[in-house]
Order: sequence, then structure tokens, then C-alpha cells
Amino acid sequence: MRKWCFLLAGFAAWNFLGYALLQPQQVDAVTQVPTTPQPMRIVSMAPNLTEILYALDLGDRVAAVTGDSDYPPQAKSKPNVGSFWLPNVEAVVACRPDLVLTLEIPQQKALAVRLRRMGYRCLTVSIWTVDDLFAAIGTLGRETGQQVLAQSLILRMREDIEQVGRIRAGRDRPRVLWVVQREPLRVAGRNTFINDLIELAGGQNAIGPTLHKYPPIGAEQVIGANVEVIIEPAMMGGNLAEQHRQALAYWSRLPNVPAVAADRIYVIEADTVSRLSPRLCQGIELIAGRLWSGDAGE
Amino acid sequence: MQSLLSPRTLLIRTLAAIAMLLLVMVACSLVGTEPVSIKAALAGPGPSGSPSPDYEILLRVRVPRILLAAIVGAALAGAGVVFQAVLRNPLADPYILGVSSGAGLGAMLAVIGGINWTLWGRSPIAVFAFVGALGTVWLVWAIGRITGRFHVTGLLLAGVVVNACFSAIIMFLTSIAKSQDVYATVFWLMGNMAEEDAFVLWASGGCVAAGLVALFFLSPSLNAISFGQTDARSMGIHVERVQFVALAVSAFVTAVAVSLSGLIGFVGLIVPHAVRLVVGPDHRQLLPLSSIFGAVFLVVADTIARRIVAPAQLPVGVITAMLGGPFFLILLMRYNKKVCWLS
Repeated sequence: MRKWCFLLAGFAAWNFLGYALLQPQQVDAVTQVPTTPQPMRIVSMAPNLTEILYALDLGDRVAAVTGDSDYPPQAKSKPNVGSFWLPNVEAVVACRPDLVLTLEIPQQKALAVRLRRMGYRCLTVSIWTVDDLFAAIGTLGRETGQQVLAQSLILRMREDIEQVGRIRAGRDRPRVLWVVQREPLRVAGRNTFINDLIELAGGQNAIGPTLHKYPPIGAEQVIGANVEVIIEPAMMGGNLAEQHRQALAYWSRLPNVPAVAADRIYVIEADTVSRLSPRLCQGIELIAGRLWSGDAGE
Repeated sequence: MQSLLSPRTLLIRTLAAIAMLLLVMVACSLVGTEPVSIKAALAGPGPSGSPSPDYEILLRVRVPRILLAAIVGAALAGAGVVFQAVLRNPLADPYILGVSSGAGLGAMLAVIGGINWTLWGRSPIAVFAFVGALGTVWLVWAIGRITGRFHVTGLLLAGVVVNACFSAIIMFLTSIAKSQDVYATVFWLMGNMAEEDAFVLWASGGCVAAGLVALFFLSPSLNAISFGQTDARSMGIHVERVQFVALAVSAFVTAVAVSLSGLIGFVGLIVPHAVRLVVGPDHRQLLPLSSIFGAVFLVVADTIARRIVAPAQLPVGVITAMLGGPFFLILLMRYNKKVCWLS
């Protein structure tokens, strides 16, 4: 019995000592890092943040990017700080950044907390919708001293989007099924930025409101939704023609769906439609081009 | 059998293993994606405002991560030994009584609930996972007790059923959650190491060490129980009490490990078997040596995970399984004649 008492006492003493020595209560109080008006060594932790930085003409001030930052091509030659999901803190610290840009996702939030604790300045932006994207461009412009460029970028993007809307105004809105994954079938629901893109391009999501963001659906719903256009972003950057052939083979099992009957199944480059970036308009135009059979198509 | 192991031999072997652990930790702290000058790092944090990168990378990124890997590895391997002994099942690992699914469910609820507070710099995921893990083991224990007095089989079955139920709930939540939340949880579940705050390392290290010492106190009784409950009772051991304390302490140690690093498979299953193959089944020796070699194994695995696809990183769970499997098979073939399974 005595040894158990010693163990318990030792354990309590250890924790008490640790609490007194290391003062954990100060950890949560994040140290305020002085803001530099013109950060010169920026680390971007996501591909769309990298694109925004380059669009704001900050390419020279980007110190490092994540390995998945593949646009613009110059970004690929920057030092790599791991992937979007598994960031490499060691590599970030080695860059001596004066600003680290992170996204509002749980893993990057943890990274931001750790870096702030070490005294680095982190800016976390949340980009889930098209409006978030404009807000994020504004914030980044403000924090990097590029307000004017940011405002003109936002204006230009808004104009481009309106332009797409004007060209197609008055036309009927095709019912689009956006396929995220074929087997099992999973599509984009209403509460996604893909839905925003479809609507901005002049179409409408064939799938009604669902519990899931990206609902798995069955053949019954596809037939019931009276789908007029099926769009699949190409997976894993592979060969478009090959994926288009596979998609045709898959959908041939539902020959009475209007989109299949009218041969309106499209596989498009996923690049501009899978991330919310300044190339948003290209994505919307890409989608719009597939919505009416008379327009440019595959 | 117990007379075969003198306290002196045990002490020498344990100290040798600790020396090896320290050596491995020092060696691994020199390996990383960025070149670091030890001289510059040891010169201190540098003038305020511009800390030296070498100091920061070595002492604030690498060393905390290596310490964390050692703590988690020791906890999982030590708990694995006890689960295998108490449940008398060579397939038992620290997750068998529902720790994995309970922690997963806790983590999922924290992420989906969008909870934002932190406790000593720990995210709510860790706290929820800890509570979920312990809560589930308690539930399994309670169900196991209801099923009967001879409750090892009942416990195992209850563990399997609760695991299956909770996994189904996790799958349901995964399918309705926002995709970014799902990714966060899936990556968390795969097991990951990150740099932790000094107090978190201090306190969790203390919890794991205290738990392992408590289990070491129980190891003579565990030796008797692994021969069978009837034999143990005839030797005057309170089998139920020892089982309860051993499982509760191991579950606590496992929950601490899981809340620190997510679910890292294989360490708790393979390290105890590997050590048992080499040094035999006496728990007084098996428990400390398994804990130390669990720490060595995870430190090495995490260093590989940090380095192998640099500058990207792999989840350490991938490495433990890929490295542990072949290593264990080699040991199994080499020591085949000495195999002494628990049953």
C-alpha cells in the first residue's frame, strides 16, 4: 500500500512542479506579434492563397508555398513547406516568415496556434463561398499593403462574373448534376461553392436541398431530378478524353436521363472549379460553356 | 519462473534500454527536413526579436516532437502488454476495448460541434478524444460485468460490439459532415505527431510514467493471471481487483496517448510481442522493456515520417505499420522456437 501512496504523491508533486515552472495558463494568451506594414517573407499554406498572392503582385515577397500550389507556374519553384493537410512546421520556421497565411480549417488552425506561440505572425482567412473569396482578397490586400490592387482585382472579378451572367440572361436555366465521385455516386449539393458557381454560370443544381453537403445519391434521384447536363471535374489531373469515355460508359446505364440521351456529359479541368481563387471567372466561364449545347463545348 | 529474473538483471537491462532510447532520441533530433547547426542551436534563442532559426527548429519543433513520440510509444506499448495479459489474448492491443472508436467519436463531435476553446494550448479534439476514450472503456467494462462473472470473453465481445456501433456512428457523422471537417477528423484518426507545449509534454509524460509504474507494481500479479484465473486465485491474488486496476490504468494511459497523437496502430500490438519473443514472458521485465522499446520504435518511425517524403510529411501510423510488420516477421522467424504465447 505504501508504494501506491508514494506513487500518487510523486505524481501530484510532478504536476504541481510542472504547473509552477511552466505556467501553462499563459499558453492560451496568444502573444501579440507587432504587425509589419509590408511583410516581405510571406508563406502561403494553401494553393488558392498562393494564387491570391500572385494576383496581388506579391510573387517576389512569397518565401514559400505548399507543395500543391501549382498556379501560377512560378509558384512551383518556391521552397516547399509540406502539403495543405500535413504542413511541415520545421520548413515554415526555416523560411523566417514575417507573415504566414493559413485557411480556417481545423488542421491549419492548430498550425497557426503553434506558430503564434513561437512568435510568428499568422493571418487566418476563411474561404468557403464566393463572397468569402472577395473578403479574403480584401483582407490580404490590407495586410500586405496592396489595398489598391486588391480592390481593383475584386472589381474586375465582379465585372467578369456579371458579364457571364449578362450574356446568358433570359435563357432557361439548365439542370446540372455536378458529379464529385462516380462510384459510389456523390454529387455537389446546394450548400456548396460549386452550387454558387453553377448558378453564376447560369444553370441550376439538379439536386434539391439535402442533409449532406456532397450527398451520395442513387439512380432513382438522378432520373427523378430530370438532369439536363452532367459535369464531372477531371479527377487526379488525368487524361480528359479517357475520363470522358469512362463517364459515357458509366452513364450509358441510364439512357433515359435527358443529359445522357442528348449526349451532354462533360468532363472538365478541375483546376479552376475546385478551388476558390482569382481564376474563379475562368471556372464559371468553363461551366457556362457547357450549359447550352450551342456554345463552345467538348 | 519469477526466480529466473534477479532485480539486478532487471535493473541492468532497463538502464541499458533507457540508454539506447536516449541515444536514439539524440540521433533522431539531428535528422530533419532542414539542416540545423547544433552549435548555433545551443548558443541559445538569440537576441530578442530575432530568435535563431537553428534554436527554434531544434528545440521548439524537433525536440518536443521527439519527446511526444517517446511518451506516446511508451504508453501504447506498455498498455498493450497489460491488455494482452489481462485479456489473455495475443491479438489484444490498447484499442481493443473501444478506445479507438470512443476517441474517434469524441474527436468527430468536437470537430462537427465547431468547438473553439483551448485548454493549455490543447485543441478541443484532444480533450473530447480523451473523454470519449475513457468513457467508452468504462461502458465496455460495465457491459462486460453485466454479461457474467467470468468476464474476459464478455469484455472482448462488448469491446467488439461497442467498437462496431461507434464506428457506425462515426461513419454516419462522416457522411453528413462538411467535407473539410471530415478530412480533419480522418487525418486526426490516422495518427499524427505535432510539437506540443512544454506543460502538455510535462503533464502527459507524468501521467504515462505514473501509469506505467503502477502497472509495474501489478506485474507479479499479471504473471500469475496469465497462467489462468484459477491458478492465480489459488495463489491468493484478487483477480478481479487486479484486472480492474490494470485495465483502468492501461485505458487511462492509452487515452492520454490517443488524445496527444490520434490513433497510431501497431505499436501496442507488435512491440510487446517482439519484446516477449526476445526476453520472455515475465511481466516485471516485459512491461518496462516494452515501454522503452515502444518509445524507441515510435521515435524512429516518426523521424522516418518526417523525413521520407520531405518536405511533406506522412502520418506516423503509416510508417509504424509498414516498418513494424516486416520487423516483427523477422523476429518471429528468428525466435520461432522460443515463442511462448499467452494462451
